[in-house]
Amino acid sequence: MGKSLTELVRDLEETEAVATVRQQLKDGRDPLTILKDCQAGMVKVGEKFEKGQYFISDLMMSGEIFKQVGEILGPEMKGAAGPPAGKVIIGTVAGDIHDIGKDLVVIMLRSANYEVTDLGVDVPVQKFVEAVRQTGATVVGLSCLLTTAFDSMRATIKALDESGLRPGVKVMVGGGPVDRKACEYAGADAWGTDANVAITLCKEWI
Amino acid sequence: MSTDKERLYQERLNRVSKALNLEPVDRIPSLYMGTAFSPRYMGMTQAEFCTDPDGAVDVTIAAMERLGDVDGINLMPSGCHPINLSNIWLSKVLIPGQDLPADDLWQVVEKEIMSVEDYDFIIDKGWEAFKDKIIPTVVDMNMNKVHWDWVISSFSGVAPKFRKAGYVVAVCAITTVPFEPLCGGRSMHKFFLDLYRMPDKVKAAMDVMLPSMIEQGIGAAKLGGVPAVWVGGWRTASAMLAPQIWDNLVFPYYHEIVLKLAENGITSVLHWDQNWTRDLGRLRELPAKKFALNPDGMTDIRKAKEILRDRAAIIGDVPSSLFAAGTPDDIRNYVRDLVRDIGPTGLILCPGCDAPINAKPENMEAFVSASREFGTSVG
Repeated sequence: MGKSLTELVRDLEETEAVATVRQQLKDGRDPLTILKDCQAGMVKVGEKFEKGQYFISDLMMSGEIFKQVGEILGPEMKGAAGPPAGKVIIGTVAGDIHDIGKDLVVIMLRSANYEVTDLGVDVPVQKFVEAVRQTGATVVGLSCLLTTAFDSMRATIKALDESGLRPGVKVMVGGGPVDRKACEYAGADAWGTDANVAITLCKEWI
Repeated sequence: MSTDKERLYQERLNRVSKALNLEPVDRIPSLYMGTAFSPRYMGMTQAEFCTDPDGAVDVTIAAMERLGDVDGINLMPSGCHPINLSNIWLSKVLIPGQDLPADDLWQVVEKEIMSVEDYDFIIDKGWEAFKDKIIPTVVDMNMNKVHWDWVISSFSGVAPKFRKAGYVVAVCAITTVPFEPLCGGRSMHKFFLDLYRMPDKVKAAMDVMLPSMIEQGIGAAKLGGVPAVWVGGWRTASAMLAPQIWDNLVFPYYHEIVLKLAENGITSVLHWDQNWTRDLGRLRELPAKKFALNPDGMTDIRKAKEILRDRAAIIGDVPSSLFAAGTPDDIRNYVRDLVRDIGPTGLILCPGCDAPINAKPENMEAFVSASREFGTSVG
């Protein structure tokens, strides 16, 4: 017997997973059920990452599979996916144009059913504030690769403070040089070394 | 040359050489590394630093003299820095004074400039032919000319300049494994997918590239007059890659480069950013004392010491975040713990990767003084 869709996603079998999604859709299977099977596969990917059995490249491959699945199922869902697990704002802070780590966090959070507003790179401080105000997001993720961007992280969190929004928002920071010291410097609530930590934090906070 | 400076140079060279050979030292050597920090510390703009290779050398030496008693520099300045970065990663680099404000840090643009079909181009026509095709699309050709003219006329004079000031140049140039420029050229996301979708094709291209990467290291070491080069690793870190990819497309190439450089009397300094802890055991396959590990603070340096105790020195690894966001006490404690756990033999104290542009001067000064204080007490 062949692998289930969940197992195909878990095992990063891109061609087979995507073909199976198309086939199941053609056979009339409920798109929401297909999506949930794929999400279950992504949860398994996260578990393997936590256990040290998967690495960044594996997360990227799983993210790519999930992205393709989303593109196939999206038009069929018609808003049937139900409420998101929570709302998150993500961006690479002002003065830094690096997006790889940030993009991976976005993909992994979306696969875990979070509604993510991706503000892109080199994001001005006030844009984060406006995004929180407009979306009602309760988590903000700030990314950077440059140590010079620590000051932008700090300024962004200060702006959230000054806007009065900070009590209702948790802030997580991440990216190459970010560690406990940088987290403290920026005034964030938590920091993470990888995309999976972002999911864990969101589950704790929302 | 002043006799005092030459005597100091010989003393420092002896210290660094002994540390690399795992022999007892009178005190643990320390190396400077602060590419963008040097101009910031000395009042030169990043734009000037990037466009004036001689000025970059002078300002680096001046920064070292101001900081105090370090034994030398990890990697010497070698031309227009953005050009070097573009060559390593096949990527466009935003240049201060041109694409960015004059005193901003340069930034590598992560963008796909190489297509899947280019693997075949490399396989059919060779790596150098491909570079000839692609480099003009990612570098400022005026700066490229300045850079290469300077390399021809002045690169070999850099190590003697440091020597004249009493400083050792540990490493004079950079090479890396084929993975790194391919990753930069394809862009990380696309390249990582290629590793799953077409590993054989990627490997075939890498096999074609490898001799050029080896020759790049040998040629630079000969021209620079320093028998050591960085064999850099960034996206090849263990934490980034599934083991089957690392075992197939990463380590065999490091292994071959280190062997070939060693055959030519050149030490490979594995300048490895990110976390390599998973695969440190593989380093025991490399020839003893022909390489050194230069981690950036993310690899478990204590585990590295356990594995490499009788094989190779470790150069590192005060994290860049600590220089930027920490205090002098944080730096002092970090250096103290490094000396206690990794010394006294086979350790060269150094900023991990590269002290950042916004390293606090007091933290850099604390690194130098703590290196002397703790390094001497165990020597």
